[in-house]
Amino acid sequence: MTAVQNEKALLWLLLLPVVGFLAVFFLIPLGQVLYFSVMDPGFTLKHYAAFMTDAFYWKVLFGTFQTAALVTALSLLMAYPLAYMVVKLGGAFATTILLIVTMSFWTSFLVRTFAWMVILGNNGPFRAAMEMLGVVPAPQLLFTRFSSTLAMVHLLIPFMVLALYSVMKKIDPNLTRAARSLGASPFDAFRRIFLPLSAPGIVNGCTLVFIMCLGFYVTPVLLGSPREQMIAGLIGQQIEEFLEFGEASATSVILLAVTLSVFALYNRFVGLDKLWG
Amino acid sequence: MQIVLILALLVALFVLGPLLVVVPMSFSTANSFEFPPPDYWLGYYRAFFNDERWLTPVVNSIGIGLATMLLTMLLVIPASFAMVRRRFMGRGAINLLLMMPMIVPHIVMALGYYTYFSQLRIIHSPLGVVLAHTCLSVPVCYLIIAASLKGFDRNLERAAMNLGASPLRTFWEITFPVLRPGFLVGGLFAFIHSFDEAVVAIFISGQAASTLPRKMFDSIRIEADPIISVVSTLLFAVVLLAVLSPLAWRAIMKAHGSLKATA
Repeated sequence: MTAVQNEKALLWLLLLPVVGFLAVFFLIPLGQVLYFSVMDPGFTLKHYAAFMTDAFYWKVLFGTFQTAALVTALSLLMAYPLAYMVVKLGGAFATTILLIVTMSFWTSFLVRTFAWMVILGNNGPFRAAMEMLGVVPAPQLLFTRFSSTLAMVHLLIPFMVLALYSVMKKIDPNLTRAARSLGASPFDAFRRIFLPLSAPGIVNGCTLVFIMCLGFYVTPVLLGSPREQMIAGLIGQQIEEFLEFGEASATSVILLAVTLSVFALYNRFVGLDKLWG
Repeated sequence: MQIVLILALLVALFVLGPLLVVVPMSFSTANSFEFPPPDYWLGYYRAFFNDERWLTPVVNSIGIGLATMLLTMLLVIPASFAMVRRRFMGRGAINLLLMMPMIVPHIVMALGYYTYFSQLRIIHSPLGVVLAHTCLSVPVCYLIIAASLKGFDRNLERAAMNLGASPLRTFWEITFPVLRPGFLVGGLFAFIHSFDEAVVAIFISGQAASTLPRKMFDSIRIEADPIISVVSTLLFAVVLLAVLSPLAWRAIMKAHGSLKATA
């Protein structure tokens, strides 16, 4: 064998295991979802037609978008001041806050979902506090859109804080100082210098949170309203309760298409390699 | 500025508070989810450590996590060398393939595995969960190992080969020992990814191969079993130890250093 052939053989030897494995255990099952979405048993578009013509499905899709947008906006509004103060104050304050955020980040979604179940439950502290404040009887909080949205914000905030922090810590503090010395008010210096420079962190954090929210299964199913499902919960129900694999596949393809569109938009304007970098 | 600080502290409280709620719950005597607890005891801890229905999923999750970690590393480490060190046709496509399991929503893969593994007759088996989790762990493991490989100074290899070492010996005595920490971190992330993965496991692990997240999901959804607060507290304690221990370690080392300085 020549050196070039040798080199090629080595390359394939290194890559073939993972490519083969993903082809057999990732691409085939994914391909099957696409396949089953248009077969029953012959080629048909009826599963998509069923989705498109049913107002209930449109409501689920629209509701999923709405919830994802709301969770993303709330996470950003809450995470931004936190990340900003971490960068601004530094020292022990920053260490403590980052420790808390990291702790939450690594704690299982299920543990945190369970915690919200307790907090918002009928015998929980949230309702007790409401009744103490004179809201008697306190409304049912669990299994509503409110409870699942609140819990999702809590679950996804660490992603937002870390995305913001990783960009903010690289902003040179001398830039805002320079703006101040040239006569800008503190707010103007923030708005015209710091905020635009932190924009990549905002875009990264929002993209991550929005995408994770679109496909969120566990928390909306456990805490959310059964009447106002999100799309992942709908897919689960189509599999488990109705055994409608064709419709579940079509719904999955729609979720996949929406998710890929968000990624494509991000890739077009920012570049996918920066999302996890 | 004051207002922003107060806002930040409130958000920090929002992040931390719910994590702490599970701890007193686990010592509660209440048999439903009641907070604050009416009284305290250790009964649910005893119940957890004597309950097969909880211990089996714990063992399953650890076993599946370790197998996933091993398999993922075996697949990803060789590929990372090719991807980082060579430029070739189709590299972009393979890069995309390696990242794809991170892009596709887990519920979509759960459906895919549900039908595919039924055909292969490995649904509701640990093997099926390991194969699925390995696919899902490839991207995160690849990101970490490729990053550590990019930071490797290849002059070390050149020096070894200059001194007469064969390529294989160079790998075992130079490359591998230097990169081992990066490989281990990549493996650790694969383990954690599998240990925490809920959605695919809910649909394909069944009763026989039930993982801990699946058991917790069922427990919250169906039975409101108070033992879940014990499991949650233990999982939280592991995270707490893992996050705080480097800090504690550094403090101890520092104290040690100052002790030496005074001696």
